Amino acid sequence: MEAIRNYLETMFLNLPNTPEVYKAKDELWQMMEDKYTELKAEGKTENEAVGIVISEFGNLDDLAKDLGIDRYMQENPLPAGKTFTLEDAKRYLSDYSRHAFLIALGVMLCILSVCGPIFCEAVSAASGHDHVRYMEAIGASVMFFMVAIAVGLFIYSSVTIGRWNYMKRERYVTDFATTEYLHQRLESYKPTYALLLTVGVILCVICFVPAIFLDAFSGYSPFWNQSSGAFTFILVGIGVFLIVMGGIRMGSYNTLLRLNQQNTVGGNYTTSQQNSKQYTNSTVAAIMSVYWPTVTCLYLIWSFLTFDWYISWVIWPIAAIISSLINNLMKN
Amino acid sequence: MTGISSDVIRGYNDTIILCLLLNRPSYGYEISKQIKQMSNEKYVIKETTLYSAFTRMEKNGYIESFSDQDNAAGKRRTYYRITDLGRRYYRDKCDEWLLTQEVVEKFILRQQDAEKEKTYGSNPQLS
Repeated sequence: MEAIRNYLETMFLNLPNTPEVYKAKDELWQMMEDKYTELKAEGKTENEAVGIVISEFGNLDDLAKDLGIDRYMQENPLPAGKTFTLEDAKRYLSDYSRHAFLIALGVMLCILSVCGPIFCEAVSAASGHDHVRYMEAIGASVMFFMVAIAVGLFIYSSVTIGRWNYMKRERYVTDFATTEYLHQRLESYKPTYALLLTVGVILCVICFVPAIFLDAFSGYSPFWNQSSGAFTFILVGIGVFLIVMGGIRMGSYNTLLRLNQQNTVGGNYTTSQQNSKQYTNSTVAAIMSVYWPTVTCLYLIWSFLTFDWYISWVIWPIAAIISSLINNLMKN
Repeated sequence: MTGISSDVIRGYNDTIILCLLLNRPSYGYEISKQIKQMSNEKYVIKETTLYSAFTRMEKNGYIESFSDQDNAAGKRRTYYRITDLGRRYYRDKCDEWLLTQEVVEKFILRQQDAEKEKTYGSNPQLS
């Protein structure tokens, strides 16, 4: 039964998703199901029944004219893309899952790297003035060492994930079984993703809490006083780790589910937001492509020139409002 | 024995389906099963051909579709019923076939005729 369903879905994969096509698919499915049920009742084996049903199915070209899609079929000849198989999809997902972990680890190491100098300074503050220079050297070394590992992770992971770049150069489609599989994986991943995201954001929001508590309760202990800032970075580091890992894995599911064109039967699960909107004006499109990097530059320039960090952050909410305003006005 | 050619029968798929709908409404698989039985399994209509005929004839107003509960199978089905226009079309197609058959028949030599032709050197049908 499953084999017949797959066969039918695969036949319809690249057809436009119009009501006529759906009706045809439903009707054909009814007939195939009836035939299959009866063949089984006659005592045929599963394989025989499936074989007979599929061999007597016919050809979609018969239907094209009556469904009003013959022009579509001519413009979009059937092998509209190479097939991305279930095996490929499984390997892609496991590769991206590792990629997500390594990148998130790298980002976390970058954030945690500042903890090295902070702790070392705290130790030297607690132990008197003799070791200050050694401790500073150790702290700085730890920081650069961690950053170096992070960069190593970024490079290694990006190079190994590069083997999938070929997918961007050609058009690939996934067959029905693969799409189903991906969709199930996506659905079962969603709760995990939600959890990762929630915990990640919570950690980022409460990152100052340990520092506040340590400042308030550590009394005159120089070590805890000095090192309290480090816990902020530890919390942010863990939070960002969870968010980045969840996001990259989520992205890999969506990338695969987007392979099928949205206006075909196979593109049922394609999320609607993907590139469906474009800027009407090419100048605006060019400006918007560098919008966020420009905002980042402005933020850094302003902040470093004036050291008004306490207020310069307002650039972000303002930039976000302007961005969504432009998107709503200039996209069709 | 050679099988039936789908090119030849194509023009009469509509006639066959309409004939089966004359007495009562029916649905896809039942029709395809009846065609198989009545032709002694010499003609098995493909699902796509059948559905294609349904949509075409519905567009032309020869049949109407409606959804109804099939109690035996316990699910809803799309049934097809013949219209008055469909009945007239069916009669026309029957007449057309009888004429076609009469004409083509004249040119069909049976096995024994062919042997006679060899023996007597002339075509018995034409003489």
